[in-house]
Amino acid sequence: MTEAATAATNGEAMLEVEGVFKQFGGIHAVRGASFDVKRGSITALIGPNGAGKTTLFNIVTGFYRPDSGRIVYDGKSIFGKRPHRIARLGMVRTFQITKALAAMPVIDNMMLAATDQPGEHLPSLLTRPLAGRKREAEVRERAMGLLGTFNLEAKADDYAGTLSGGQRKLLELARALMPAPRMVLLDEPMAGINPTLGRRLLEHMEELRQRDGVTFLFVEHDMDVVMNHSDEVVVMGQGETILVGTPAEIRADQRVIDAYLGGGAPDAAPTATEQRATESSPPAQEGTDVRR
Amino acid sequence: MSVLVAISTDFLTAWSFWIGVGILAGIYGIFTLGLQLNVGFTGILNFGQAGFMAIGAYSAVILVVTVGVPFLLALPISMLITMAVGLLVGLPALRLRSDYLAIATIAFSEVVRIAIQNSDSLTGGNQGTISLELENERFFTDTWFTISDWISANIFDQIGLTDPDFLNLPLLAVIWLTLALIAFGLSRLVRSPWGRVLRAVREDEDAARALGKNVFAYKLQSLAIAAGLGAIAGWFLVLNLQSVNQAPFEPIFTFIGYVILILGGLASFAGVLVGTIVLWTLLEGLRFLDLPLDGGQIAALRFIIVGLVLILLVSFRPQGALGKQEEMVLSD
Repeated sequence: MTEAATAATNGEAMLEVEGVFKQFGGIHAVRGASFDVKRGSITALIGPNGAGKTTLFNIVTGFYRPDSGRIVYDGKSIFGKRPHRIARLGMVRTFQITKALAAMPVIDNMMLAATDQPGEHLPSLLTRPLAGRKREAEVRERAMGLLGTFNLEAKADDYAGTLSGGQRKLLELARALMPAPRMVLLDEPMAGINPTLGRRLLEHMEELRQRDGVTFLFVEHDMDVVMNHSDEVVVMGQGETILVGTPAEIRADQRVIDAYLGGGAPDAAPTATEQRATESSPPAQEGTDVRR
Repeated sequence: MSVLVAISTDFLTAWSFWIGVGILAGIYGIFTLGLQLNVGFTGILNFGQAGFMAIGAYSAVILVVTVGVPFLLALPISMLITMAVGLLVGLPALRLRSDYLAIATIAFSEVVRIAIQNSDSLTGGNQGTISLELENERFFTDTWFTISDWISANIFDQIGLTDPDFLNLPLLAVIWLTLALIAFGLSRLVRSPWGRVLRAVREDEDAARALGKNVFAYKLQSLAIAAGLGAIAGWFLVLNLQSVNQAPFEPIFTFIGYVILILGGLASFAGVLVGTIVLWTLLEGLRFLDLPLDGGQIAALRFIIVGLVLILLVSFRPQGALGKQEEMVLSD
């Protein structure tokens, strides 16, 4: 058992998000997100469409700069840090819309993700070409190994753009694992892949958590996956974290049901006047409310 | 120019003419290698390459003629100056989305050209650098002519190329040797892990960021290298023209670079070599067309024919001569 896996047992936080706010113009995309992700856990982030899950992902990984709040990763603040800096700390993400680098071969997609490659920097590339080449051999071996794990080794020399949607998802996950990350954020990893591949993906997550102590935070809409494969669930609704708990606790909570059915977060319940206004408004207006 | 009215078989033996075409093709080949690195490998639309060429050309001339720096030392200094300008332009401009970057860089190149046109004391203004050279009694090309004579005497004269037609052969040889070396070096560079990051930036900046790559730094490096290559093209341009004014730095010359890119194919340095030879042969070779038209009409016709070739190319072979079709059609 590795050190990280041991640490997982004592429930120490790998990621702490506290009071995070993000506004785009007049839209409050995230307005008060607070939760911890325990080290070595598989944590699900759920919520209806538009709840702010992807925005929160973008904030945590540095793609958006939050307006306020506190984000601590592995004991260090990563608030406002740029994406590549955060990635280098061992936090790697995938995207909701898969970003395979289409006009590059699959193997290049994988090798790109490697860390500590002196050949990636012009000064060391020109002064120590051998160091880069040596590292390149190691990187290729690791890449082929991971491609093998995801049954993609036969595709190594094909352009990533020729892969199917499901294969691209797997490639993106395999690529995210190349730098041996300590925390992986997956935005809807199951969307668009067949159940068999999906099951394998979940097995891999479980195995990586067990063996390497990797922490996972993932956005998912498939409730079976969330309930059966996560240790903890964070529920978001209308930009706020409504609840954090075990799958069993979440299932039983009325507020979660309300959020999904469009009743709004409890503290955002409409006042009597607003309610009257809603009732008298045309049906199209109500439809909008339900979707939220 | 008697060549203009020559009948169509004479053109094959018009050596000095074809050497001139080869020189132009070589200069714009070097110029376009930089564009290829930016557009084909990094995905940044640099439309300011003519501006970098201008800075390279003028800084080299000013260093030699006005400051008095030895020719062979002035060249690397002017290249560093041009690369520094590339970084300065890139710092704000590379934060823009690609289409806005194109506008910003073309504006930069025009600012440079118009500044050159109007700073008479520094650049000679519209008179060109010849006025500086006469004033200082120092000529940019002096050292080059010594080198050129030596090459003629020791290489070309030995193999019987003594005719005055071959006067510019040393310049052609040096330009194409430089072009070949740069193309070779760049091909090696883009196949390295560094080049892999560049291509990832071209494909998807966010994906590269999420994998810990400092996208901005790579874009800056790419632009600075292209600027440096623009400077080299600028020196050769001055050596070919012997003195220079602002005219060869108009934005149209950046577009000629893009035509070469499209002809040769994106993401291929060998394609640039093919593209530049095809373009300049077409453009200049068409001068020999024996048509009942006046010179101005023939000049316009040349561009019409080049345009037609481009249209046919993008219809039937959009990847260009040596581009990869897969890399054009694949996307996320």
